[in-house]
Order: sequence, then C-alpha cells, then structure tokens
Amino acid sequence: MDNYYTVRQHGAINRYWAAAVDKTSQKRRPASPAKRPSGKRPSSSRPAAPQSRQREQYAQTVNKRRQKFKLFSARLGLDMPFCVLIVVLLVVGLIMMFSASYPYAYYNDGNSYLYLSRQLKFAVVGFIIMILASYFDYHHLHSLSVPILGFSFILLVVVLFLPSKNNIHRWVDIGLFSFQASEVMKFALILFLAHWGSVNFRQMGTFKIGVLPCIIIYGITVFLLYLEPHYSCIVIITMLTGMMMFLSGVRLRWFAIAGGLIVAGVLLMAVTGMLSYAMERMDGWGQALIYTTEGMWQTTWQTRNSLYAIGSGGLWGLGLGQSRQKYLYLPEPQNDFIFAIVCEELGLVGAIIILMIFAALVWRGITLSMRAKDKFGTLLGIGLTAQVGLQVVLNMLVITDWLPNTGITLPFFSYGGTSLVMQLAQMGIVLSISRTANIEKV
Amino acid sequence: MSKGPTVRLKRRSRIVLALILVCGFGAVIFRLAHLMLVEGDYLQQKAVYQQLTDTKISAKRGTIYDSTGKVLAKSATVWRVVLAPIYFENDDERLIVSKGLAKILDLKEEDVYEKSQKKLYYVELKRKVESDVRDRVLEFIDKIKEENKITDVINLLPDYKRYYPLGSTGATVIGFTGADDQGLEGIEYMYDSFLTGVPGRMVTAKNANGTNMPFDYEQMIAAQDGNDITLTIDSTVQQFLEKHLEKGIEDYMIYNRAVAIMIDVNTGAVLGMAVENGYDLNDPFEVSDEKVKKAIAELAEDKQQEALSNALTAQWRNKAIGDTYYPGSVFKVCTAAMALEEGVVTTESTFTCTGSYVPYEGVKAIGCHNLGGHGTQNFVQALCNSCNPAFMMIGQRVGEEKFYEYYKAFGFSEKTGIDLPGESEDIFFDEDGIEGNMWPVDLAVASFGQNFAITPLQMVMAVSSIANGGKLLKPYLVAKITDSEGNVIRQTEPVVKRQVISESTSKTMCEILETNAIKGSGKNGYVAGYRIAGKTGTSEKKIDLNGDGEDDYIASYCGFAPADNPQVALIVYFDTPTGMYYYGSQVAAPVFASMMKDILPYLGVETQYTDEELQKLDVTAKSYIGKALSAAENEIEQDGLKHLSYGNGDTVISQIPESGTKIPDGGTVVLYTDENSKDAKVVVPDLTNLTMAEANRKAAQYNLNISISGATSSGELLSVSQDIAEGEQVSPGTVITVQFRTNSGDDNVM
Repeated sequence: MDNYYTVRQHGAINRYWAAAVDKTSQKRRPASPAKRPSGKRPSSSRPAAPQSRQREQYAQTVNKRRQKFKLFSARLGLDMPFCVLIVVLLVVGLIMMFSASYPYAYYNDGNSYLYLSRQLKFAVVGFIIMILASYFDYHHLHSLSVPILGFSFILLVVVLFLPSKNNIHRWVDIGLFSFQASEVMKFALILFLAHWGSVNFRQMGTFKIGVLPCIIIYGITVFLLYLEPHYSCIVIITMLTGMMMFLSGVRLRWFAIAGGLIVAGVLLMAVTGMLSYAMERMDGWGQALIYTTEGMWQTTWQTRNSLYAIGSGGLWGLGLGQSRQKYLYLPEPQNDFIFAIVCEELGLVGAIIILMIFAALVWRGITLSMRAKDKFGTLLGIGLTAQVGLQVVLNMLVITDWLPNTGITLPFFSYGGTSLVMQLAQMGIVLSISRTANIEKV
Repeated sequence: MSKGPTVRLKRRSRIVLALILVCGFGAVIFRLAHLMLVEGDYLQQKAVYQQLTDTKISAKRGTIYDSTGKVLAKSATVWRVVLAPIYFENDDERLIVSKGLAKILDLKEEDVYEKSQKKLYYVELKRKVESDVRDRVLEFIDKIKEENKITDVINLLPDYKRYYPLGSTGATVIGFTGADDQGLEGIEYMYDSFLTGVPGRMVTAKNANGTNMPFDYEQMIAAQDGNDITLTIDSTVQQFLEKHLEKGIEDYMIYNRAVAIMIDVNTGAVLGMAVENGYDLNDPFEVSDEKVKKAIAELAEDKQQEALSNALTAQWRNKAIGDTYYPGSVFKVCTAAMALEEGVVTTESTFTCTGSYVPYEGVKAIGCHNLGGHGTQNFVQALCNSCNPAFMMIGQRVGEEKFYEYYKAFGFSEKTGIDLPGESEDIFFDEDGIEGNMWPVDLAVASFGQNFAITPLQMVMAVSSIANGGKLLKPYLVAKITDSEGNVIRQTEPVVKRQVISESTSKTMCEILETNAIKGSGKNGYVAGYRIAGKTGTSEKKIDLNGDGEDDYIASYCGFAPADNPQVALIVYFDTPTGMYYYGSQVAAPVFASMMKDILPYLGVETQYTDEELQKLDVTAKSYIGKALSAAENEIEQDGLKHLSYGNGDTVISQIPESGTKIPDGGTVVLYTDENSKDAKVVVPDLTNLTMAEANRKAAQYNLNISISGATSSGELLSVSQDIAEGEQVSPGTVITVQFRTNSGDDNVM
C-alpha cells in the first residue's frame, strides 16, 4: 500500500505538472515555466522516469480493476459511515414523520397510516436511486450541468403558467408525482457552479469568469423564484451560491460587495413594497407568543404552537408518540414543523442526538468531498452536503421563531415523496464522489 | 491536468464546514436548549392550557329537612341537552337533528335549527330534562348515528333539579333556587354557601377541534356534595298553621295576606312560620293567586311583564319578617309588663275609663273601643278589657324614657337576627331625628300599640320573653347543618339576648294573660285543657289600601301555652279583613284557637283540665242498638267519639260501653253486628305511670276507653292505678278507670 501510495502521488503530480506546463506555456503565463519548475518536486521526479513508468503501469492495472469492479462491488469505495448516517436519518425521519402525521392523517383522511405508507414507498424508491446514483460516474455531470441548468430554468418559467395554489406557483404536476421546480433548481445551480468552478478554477479570482457568470445565473434564478414566489428558496439559493463561489476561489472583496448589495436590495424592496408577501409572513416573526390583534394571532398560530410543542418537550420529552401538539394544534405537523413534534416527544436530548447525526452527515460529506479526485467532485460534494446542512439549520431556526415562517423543509423528516427521492439521489451523487475519494483504500 | 482540490479549496471547505457546524448547528442547539429548558415551563403551561378542557361537575345541593326528618327540599339528577353544532357536516344533518330534537324536547324546530348553525362546541338546548326524556334523546342519538352517520353533535350532561316534596308548605321559609341551582329566597338563599357544595372538575385533553384526544389524559376531581340542613320547622305544625290561616283568609275575606309564627319560647326555635297565600315551591315563578293572575292577563301586553314581576316579588315576600305593622292592643302586653316591672302599677292598681281619655291638656280626647267606658277597673281587668284609656294612664306612669328603654329591651328596635333574608327594621318615633324622642301624645298612643311599626316576629319574640321568665331569645330556623356523611357541622344553640323583665313579673303576666284568655277579651283564643294565655289586637292602619272607603285594620292575636309552664308562643295576624268581622278577637282569636287545638296535642303538650272542663269532657254513651250500622256510626261521630265495628251484619246488636256509661271525649264505642263477633277480645295494657294524654293514646291503641279519676287541674299528673289489671282479656271498647295524681309532691296523694 505504501508503495502504491507513492506511485499514485508521483503519477498524479506528473500528470498535473504536464498539464500545467502544457497549458501555461500555451496561453496565460509564457514566463512561468521558469518560475514553477524551480520547485523541488518536478525536478526530483523527472530523473525517476523509468521507475515511474513501471509503477504507472501497475497503477493502470489497478485503475482498470477499479473500473471493472465499479458497477458490481458496493464495498468498493462507497463511504460506509456516510451511507449509514443517511440510512439512520431516513429511518428516524420516517418514524418521526409517522408519529407526527398520525393524528393529522386520522382526522383529515381517516387513515393514520396514509402519510407513512406514501412516504415509505418513496423512501424505498429513493434509496434504490441513491445506490444506483452512487455507481454513476459523476464526471458525466460535467457535460450535463449546462443542460440541466437550462432545463431547470425552463421548469421555473413553466411552473409560473401552471395552476397555482394560493397564488403561489411552485409545484409541477406530471401525473405520477409532483415536485417543486425550485428543488430541481437548487441541484442545477450547485451542479453548474461546481462545474464552472472546477473548469475555471484558475480564473475564479477574476470578475469576468469568477463572478459575473455566477451572478447572472443567480440573478435569473432569483428573479424566477421571486415570480413564483418562493422566498425561502431564494435564501437557500443565495447561501449556496455564495458558498460555491467562496469555495471556487472568488476573491473575498466580492463577498463584501455582495453583502452590501443584498442589504441595500432588501431595503429597496422593502421600501417599494415588493416584499409584501414575505413581509406579511414576517409580520408575526418573533412575536408569536404576544397577542396583538386577532389577525396576527391567527397568522402566528403555527409558529406559536411550534414553540409550545418545543417547550413542552423539556429535557427528556413526553415520549415517542406522546406529543399533544400534533393533535391538530400544530397545523400539518408532518411538513416543515415536524421537528417541533420531535422536540416535544424526544426532548432536548433526542433533538440534540438527531442534530448530531445531521452534523456528522455534514462533516462526513464535506470531508469525503475534500478527498475527491478532482475539484468538481469536491465542489459538488460539498455543495450537495452543505445544502442538507443549511436546510436543517434554516428549518430549525424557522420552527424556533428565529427566522420568519417561510417554508423550508427538514431533509429526510418532512413529508414529501419527490423531495425525499431527490434528496436521496443527491446523496447518491455524494456517495459516488466518495467512491473516487476512497479509491486509495482498495 | 491535475484535478484534485487545491490547498485553498480545502481551506475554504473547512471554513464552510466550520461555519455550518458552529454557527448553524450551534445556534440551533442554543436556541432549542433555551426554549426547552429556560422557557420550557412557561411554554408547556401554555400548551397544556390550550389542550385541556375543564368541565364543571355540578355538586349535589344539600337536602333540607324539617325537625322530624321529613324532606322539605331535595335535589335529584336531571339532564342538560347540549348541541355541538361544529360537527355538523351539512345542512341536511342540521335539519334531521333539529327536527328530531325539537320534537323530543318540545322546542321550536326553527330555534333548534338556528342554534345548530353556530360554529360552536357548546350550545345549550334545554336544561333540567327528566330521565325519561333523556332516554328518548339517547335513542335519537343512536338512531341518527346508525341511519345518518351523524355523531358527536348531541351531548347530555348531568344536572340537578330541586324538588320540594311538600309543595307550598313553608314556601316563604324554605325559599327556592334559580336556574343555576343558586338559592334565591329563604333558607335556600340564606344558607346557599352551605347547601351548594363544591363543584368538581373533569379535566380532559382535547385536540384543537375540541374532541377528546385518544390517549388517556383525564383527571376527575369529584364534586363535593352540599351540606344538609335540618330546620326547627316541624312540617306538621307548619301545615296546621297554613291550613287554618288559609281558612281564615277565606272566612274573613282577608285582603292582604296573613301570617302565623310559632316559637318555642324556651329556645327561640321557630316551629312554624306560615305566610299565606303562599306559592308552590316547585313552580315559584307562577303567580299563585288566581285573581292576581287574571288581573295581569287582562293588562296591556307591555305592562304585563312589570306587573308579573311585581306580583312575584310580593308573592315571595316574607310578610312575617319583611312587613311592619302597628301591633295594636297586643302591645299592651309589653306596656303592662314594663309597668309591673318598674313597679309603677300593681295588679290591684285601679284605672277609670270613661270612654275616652285626654292624655294631657290641649289634646283631643282619645277614645276607647268601648265608647261607654269600662268604668273603674283594676290592672288585670284593664288588660282583660283591653282598655285604651287605662293603658294611656299606665304609659304615662312609665314615662317616655322608660317606655323607649323597654321598647329597646324587648328587641323592637333591632332586627331579631333570624336566619332569613329580608328582615325589616321597626319604625319608631324619632322627633328631631332622635329615635325614641317622642311627644307625650305619641307615648299615649304607643301605650296601646299605635303609630309605631314592628314586625310580627318581633312581637311574638317579645311575648315569648314575657312567657319564658323574661329572657329575650334570638329566633332561629336552622337547628343543625350536617355534611353529606352525616357529621354535624353546626348545631344552633339558643341565644339569650337579655333578661327583659324579672321572672316574677313574667309569672304575673302569664297569670293575667291566662285570665284574659279564659274570660277576658282573648277568650275566643282559648282551648279547653291547654291553659292558653293571650292577647288580642286590632290595629288601625290609618290608610285605605283596598279601596273600600274605610281605613284598614289588622287583626292579630298573640299568645302562648300552657300558661303555668309556657312552651310555645304563637302570633296570628291577618292584614285587612274586609268581611263583617275585623277585630282581633273576632278574626284572629278563633284561628289562633283552632291552631292551638291541633298543634298542642301534636306536640304532646299535656292537657290540664279544670274539674269543670272535665265534667264537660265526659260523654255519656247513647244506645245505638237496633240502628243501622252506618247510621250508628254517623251518630257516634257527631257525638265526638270514635267507632269500631265487629261482625258482618248491618244492624247493631250490642255495644260496648253500654249506654249511659261515661266515656272521655274522643273515646271509642265498639259496635257488634252479629253474635259471633262478640268474642273479640283485647288484652288490657299497663296504663300506669303515664300522663293523661299518654294513657289516653295507649288505651285508644288497644281500642279501649279510659275514665279519668282523681284529676286536679294543677300540676303534672301521672296515672297510678287502673281498675282492670294489665293482661286481662276484655272486650274492645271497655272503659278502664285510671287513677291519676299529681307528681309535684309525693305526699300529696290525690
């Protein structure tokens, strides 16, 4: 193993170096070869070329074997801790979703198992898709990233012309199932930014390559989401875009400028009244427990009952299935506010354990992505993992009334089949990245 | 080309990871911990508050008993029909339910339908539904559940209803309760807090729609039943009082109701307090007086409501304590007592009545009811004549200051403190705003009870104090309060307010009043054998309320018995007789007598006949032989005797006692209609060591007659021997002679 490791590194460096020399000499830095090769590694590797070739051959055989086994061996490279964490979250999520939805389903549909049975089917399908996706060579996504982005833009436009619910255009119904266009958009954006950042990683420090295209795509996305409208998604998209750009190496000053612009923009929108819907939702933000007017009391009903549920949990909770707030006090307890019921039933201890599992998932996902073979894998893996982490945090801040009630679901917990399947598929891509990251362990 | 992550990418990845974990998850955990540990209690309390429903469980109201343990007021379970219209799913269901329930509950269908449209969990349809109706509602609930799949919309909740088994008996004393089981009048009002009990609670967890949550979360705090109250009122006494009052009202055409109060003179316990016309406690909101009811119905519609409420207020008013009146001549008892006590007169003092009297110079003469004048009379005769001029003179001897002092001492200036609501205060002379400050002419008329107003209860309490040796007592109605397990919570002890007159004055007054009852103005109130003492009163109201063109009068009689050892005092008071008679001696006295005649034997007060009376009492049995049985029976009843017949024949063939035998009034004559029946025998009981009444009662039980021998009219008598020995078999109706002797001294045989 030690042997191979050295070989692999040397080989990699060689390839890296060759490409670097090739590229720089041709285009951007004609003078740089003189500068760079003065480093130790290239000069030391050159004389060892014959030995190196021998080892490279060995490495190629291994690579062939990897490619051969890739489709058949689940053991091969799949990051087991990450996979186990997903399964644990999926199972716990299903149990809690069942518990939370039980009375709601009972009173509304007469069948307490309605949501569980539906979600279970999607979970199974999602799990299979995840495993399949883990075998899929994510490098193909490079070429797919632009078409997917284009497709999701089309979806975002199409959804505006589809029948709306409460004047909100979010859902695309294709008969068999329906999904939110914004879900696709989030994935498309992460994918594109990972692609863009990895391909142009050298130029990400520039405005023309590193900032402008990202901002244009981000701007279009935000505009389309604003038309839906879907503000919570805008928040996530903003954070994800910022994060992806940050990872890709965009200079920090742009973030300072962007931060200033966002503040100014929000202020401007507030002044022009364009934020009316969001403001209406934000009206009750932070004052769910204070009675001002009847209308406001009704508006903050969900948040208030979420707080009641969380507070009722105490340290140890009321016990699994013992929530009282789910008895129609907390509206749709299986959706965005499911974690309030989790807190009520499992208490602070249970909530922290679940949060720790999420944290471990984020940790594992990001660290394994950092070991990916290429920047695309790293960026994509971190982007997809961070999306889960961000949604968890934002969801919890909403149910605890630290953020306005905007409709951010809790991954693996909240009810929603398509969303779950997409979540798992994205995790499948992270697993696929983990295979390349862990290849040295074979 | 090398693809692996650069150092900067890795560094920035770690920054992203750290940001998400520390800032993101850290903030979340901090927030959750704050909510669950710091604000947890507050939020949980709020949550529980909205999840739990608190249902009140009515406590059973305590029972009211009379002094003999008879139930006067009792609560029984009834039902409340409640609608939860929020569960209606469509209008058809509303129509089905409102139609069905309206029919069962006897309500208007439109009303029920209107109520069924409210989006509420609790809409009361009907209260105090009896259990037979409740069964029909239950049937209906099952029916609509099965046929129309309508559930949860109709609820039945337990409730209590107050029943008054004796109806109108003691109505003004007992009072009644309102729709929420709260006492509104009388004892029910006065002792509401004791009777009410503590309502229980049922705490159940409900979902946001108001139905029960499926998990077990129920806490019952049982209702604590109210306390039971035992009154000093004896319902039999009460019924006697009411019966005779009612008759009196009819006979003497009483315009403005009548009152009778009987007091135990030794304790102050109220044995009966009748206000007629009364009303039915089971239906107190119905005007009981048909005439008034008719008058209201004839009024214009907009005035009916007011008239009705006035009529009800009047009907519920306790005249015995709520209305004041001029006591009139009855008050002479007090004037006489204070004069004797102060020593300004003796029984031998003489007064001359010329038909009228000028109390002092410059005042118009005040007449006596006997216009011709009573002439010269001593103190006792003056009272027996109820002579106004004599009493003006006595009043003058007492003086204004002393008069008012005694007035206060007899308790007229204060409320008696009886445990009933709505007691009135007296109205006495108050020249220059100082009560008791009066002109000489005021004193003159006050001496015979005019121009100041007191309540009938105050009057009878004052007379009681004269009867019982001078102690003014506090009247009371509640003898004891017991909790639902029978433990005595409160027992009323007699309260002596003060010694008003000395015992010797009291004794003298008793004798004078007995004399008055036997042969004075109060003789119409006398009952043979019961040593009644009493005084009549006819007070001028000096106002014409009934509109007959003449000033109204109040006819009253207040007395006690037995005079030598007073036990009960009774006041009878008729407000405004409109018939031929209106004097106390003509109206109130006979009623008083008939009340006493019924009540005293019932209370077991011993008869003490004078020899003269005894002679009158014995009846000589006539011969009924040969007469038809029914004719003979009629005749026996007319003679004031009881009859008993043996045999199957129609004609009386023999009788016991035989004709010519003396048997006591109320004795039994046994008639035989065939030969075989003569064999009927009874065993003679032991009739010794009994009082006269007891011996009489025991003999009557065995269908035997007793003949009393050795009786004297004074002292308590006990039987010492009987002529036919105990255990012997004799024919029913046989007269057994029983010897009595007084037990006031052992050596004083016979």
